[in-house]
Amino acid sequence: MVSMKQAEPVTAGASPVVELRDIHKSFGALEVLKGISFTAREGQVVSLIGSSGSGKSTLLRCINMLEVPDRGDVLIDGEAVALSGDGPARRIGDENQIRRIRSELGMVFQSFNLWAHMTVLGNVMEAPLVVQKRDRAEVEAEARAMLDKVGIGSKADAYPAQLSGGQQQRAAIARALCINPRVMLFDEPTSALDPELEVEVLRVIKLLADEGRTMILVTHDMDFARSVSDRVIFLHQGLIEEEGTPDEVFGATKSARLKQFLNAANHA
Amino acid sequence: MFEDLAFWVSYITNGKHLTWYASFQFTIYAALLGGALAVIFGLTGATLKNSRFAVLRLIGTIYSSIVRGVPDVLFFLFFPLAFEQAVEWFVATQVCTPESIAAQTSPWPPCREANWFLGTTEYLLLASVSLGLVYGAFATNVIHGAMRAVPAGQLEAARAYGMSASQVLWRVHIRQMWVYALPGLSNVWMLIVKATSLLSLLQIADIVLWADRLGAPNFLPTVGLVHDDWRWRYYLVLFLFYILVTWLSERAFEAIMRRAGRGILSEVPA
Ligand SMILES: Nc1ncnc2c1ncn2[C@@H]1O[C@H](COP(=O)(O)OP(=O)(O)O)[C@@H](O)[C@H]1O
Ligand SMILES: [Mg+2]
Repeated sequence: MVSMKQAEPVTAGASPVVELRDIHKSFGALEVLKGISFTAREGQVVSLIGSSGSGKSTLLRCINMLEVPDRGDVLIDGEAVALSGDGPARRIGDENQIRRIRSELGMVFQSFNLWAHMTVLGNVMEAPLVVQKRDRAEVEAEARAMLDKVGIGSKADAYPAQLSGGQQQRAAIARALCINPRVMLFDEPTSALDPELEVEVLRVIKLLADEGRTMILVTHDMDFARSVSDRVIFLHQGLIEEEGTPDEVFGATKSARLKQFLNAANHA
Repeated sequence: MFEDLAFWVSYITNGKHLTWYASFQFTIYAALLGGALAVIFGLTGATLKNSRFAVLRLIGTIYSSIVRGVPDVLFFLFFPLAFEQAVEWFVATQVCTPESIAAQTSPWPPCREANWFLGTTEYLLLASVSLGLVYGAFATNVIHGAMRAVPAGQLEAARAYGMSASQVLWRVHIRQMWVYALPGLSNVWMLIVKATSLLSLLQIADIVLWADRLGAPNFLPTVGLVHDDWRWRYYLVLFLFYILVTWLSERAFEAIMRRAGRGILSEVPA
């Protein structure tokens, strides 16, 4: 099977947007990440795959410091995120820096995490207004455009609880888009959805990939990973077991563990 | 008959009755101010209990567990007196001279210059602070529980989008906390309303004190015995007042709940 990705393959020369260097993370005695490095370049879609509990979410959450890695560095657009202390005591070093960096990383969660007390439009406008401090009229116009883009323009004034799961996740994607992110971070965006609602969300993510947005995507959906990615990374027991283009990883699998994983995924 | 009516109208609008009616404002002020302070102390206590620092957590826990056990009557008597004497003691260290101390005849305050005369306004403020402190301990527990009911994922999303700790706290955490806290806070509010009947303990001429005085057998030189012991009639008016306040409070809490719960409480999927 050939890659279905339509955009030009992103050259290795494009500038790095997210760079992880030797990331380690433990929860108590459980060592979840054992030294992971990779780079997502401008315009690339990088998919993280691996069995449940292999540390995909933890790795993604290290990028915006929802989890602080015990060791290793995170660089966004070449700028290292300041951290202080060592090991489990390691903390965010500079609150202002991390807030600025976070305001450029659009995260989409498995369980949507829309703010329940705000309308859909309010959710999308919140960070641009209170974090980025942009002009309200401009933000509202852009927010409405983003909602149209993900196909829920008519739901702007509804509350999240009034929407279906697929609509909520698309609202969450619009929320991420409206901050004009340098990179979109998706953590299994369709895992909480019924199969018939999955399609509408995948279609939106595909659209964003084709626009050439930089994205890091944790997914269980191997067909989708294959169709949308420039690079695929397979995590196993806290390490990168195999990585490469979708054709390499899915078409010419080297690792026995990955073969086993893909077999299991195909029969799921 | 008409003359009777005219008499009773003028009787219930005489000076003492008008003072009684006016004294309802003390009860209302004390409840409103006490309620506002209870929420402020409750928010503070809950924030302390959630603090990263063990010392602050301990203070919050001690406040909410100890003060909840103190009878409100006792605290009402203790706090204003202790506060008054503490202020007088402090003022005394500043203003008393050896001569003025020698000239003082009563055992307290140390000198006459340090005496602090408390009028109705001062007592009302102290009463409100007492109410706020006692019921703030209940509010601390209610709010602390409600804070934990707010979905963690939404707080995390707020952080992930670059909100500062105080933005997360006020724009998401506390904003959503009200929905879970309001049922408990409405109970605390009703307790505060009931406790306002203790104002006369602080020498405030409040509605209870006046009902007592006006209900006692009344003899006017011009008309003879107006009524004998009518206290139960006057107390009945207080009952009706408190029932009205309860009813109004319930309506108000329903309205606040509807507003605070928008989007959170049972929305019909569109
Ligand atoms: N906050 C946490 N505290 C303790 N253990 C955690 C925490 N987050 C994740 N873990 C553990 O780390 C491991 C990896 O989790 P996760 O990154 O969510 O895996 P994945 O997303 O690949 O399924 C799991 O065993 C999980 O139980
Ligand atoms: Mg996960």
